[in-house]
Amino acid sequence: MKLYTIALVALLPCLAATPDVDKGKALGLPTAPIRMEIFSDFTCPHCRALHEEMLPLLMKEFVVTGKLYLVDRAFPLTGPGHEYSREAFGYAVAAARIGKYQEVADALYTYQQVWAKDGNVWDCVSAVLKNPADQKKVKDLSKDPGVLAEIEAEYQEGVQGGINVTPTMVVTVGGKRFPLPTAPNYELLRSMLNGFLPK
Amino acid sequence: MDFYQNRVLRGILLAIRVVLGAVFVYGGYVKLRLPWALFGMAIDSYHLVPLRYVEPLARTIPWFEVVLGLLLIFGRFMRISTAAVSLTLAIFFAAMLRAFLNHQQIDCGCFGPGDPISKWTLLRDGSLLAGALLLTWTALRSPRRMA
Repeated sequence: MKLYTIALVALLPCLAATPDVDKGKALGLPTAPIRMEIFSDFTCPHCRALHEEMLPLLMKEFVVTGKLYLVDRAFPLTGPGHEYSREAFGYAVAAARIGKYQEVADALYTYQQVWAKDGNVWDCVSAVLKNPADQKKVKDLSKDPGVLAEIEAEYQEGVQGGINVTPTMVVTVGGKRFPLPTAPNYELLRSMLNGFLPK
Repeated sequence: MDFYQNRVLRGILLAIRVVLGAVFVYGGYVKLRLPWALFGMAIDSYHLVPLRYVEPLARTIPWFEVVLGLLLIFGRFMRISTAAVSLTLAIFFAAMLRAFLNHQQIDCGCFGPGDPISKWTLLRDGSLLAGALLLTWTALRSPRRMA
């Protein structure tokens, strides 16, 4: 029970997030020694694999234990297959405003192959937001200039950081940023994160 | 005139040797300062080596680079060290060229993270390889230590 409580507390989006982080899209303690930003796109299959396979491992081993601060960054792709990417980010960032980002992100990745083809992004999002009041808030906020500006700002931050592929993980330790190779092996990632932790 | 040309040639070879040595020492030092797994991920991203060999390689290559770099800078065991540098650079260059031609959007891994493979990195490593081959050729031809 105690462990469960600790896990829940750590999983909650942190209220004391650093100013440049959307606290609704972050997991863990902002004071963790390592910060990892994940530039991803909801229409990208590799991002889905990372979200479904690697993220739970990182959560269990590093985030819940207070070693890692995980921040999702929007990097909407363009071109065929990514037509609804910006719309999906609109809903996800809007959901973050009401503390429902993780639920929406989970649903967007789970049903990626459906909405990315038929374009019914809202159907996917509304299904997970059962409360009609939440649905209305997210729908309205998705068109909010602040939400759209946040998506664009994160995208531009990625572009300026040389990111041209998703998912890209950027680790920050002691003020130094280390972009990681796309889709790294988890054992190597774990060794690297442990290597960055204070002895 | 011949003597002057030899001095110029010796000066050029000395400069190449010191620069190449410094590049190797720096490349090794940068990797040694960071967790080995960071370089391990760069090696793994080439998809050339089975995973079980990644850790031994990631742990040893940086030391190998530092030792080779120091041997070059101090001009010791020139035949062996220049040949080893040429071979190492030839392997690195071939791996990078393969990744570039296969449109793999990965980091070079040469001097730590954040150095994506591009025409520029290929030109840089190709130039280093050319310099190393010149040193090797000169070392193997020369009956005594180079400048």
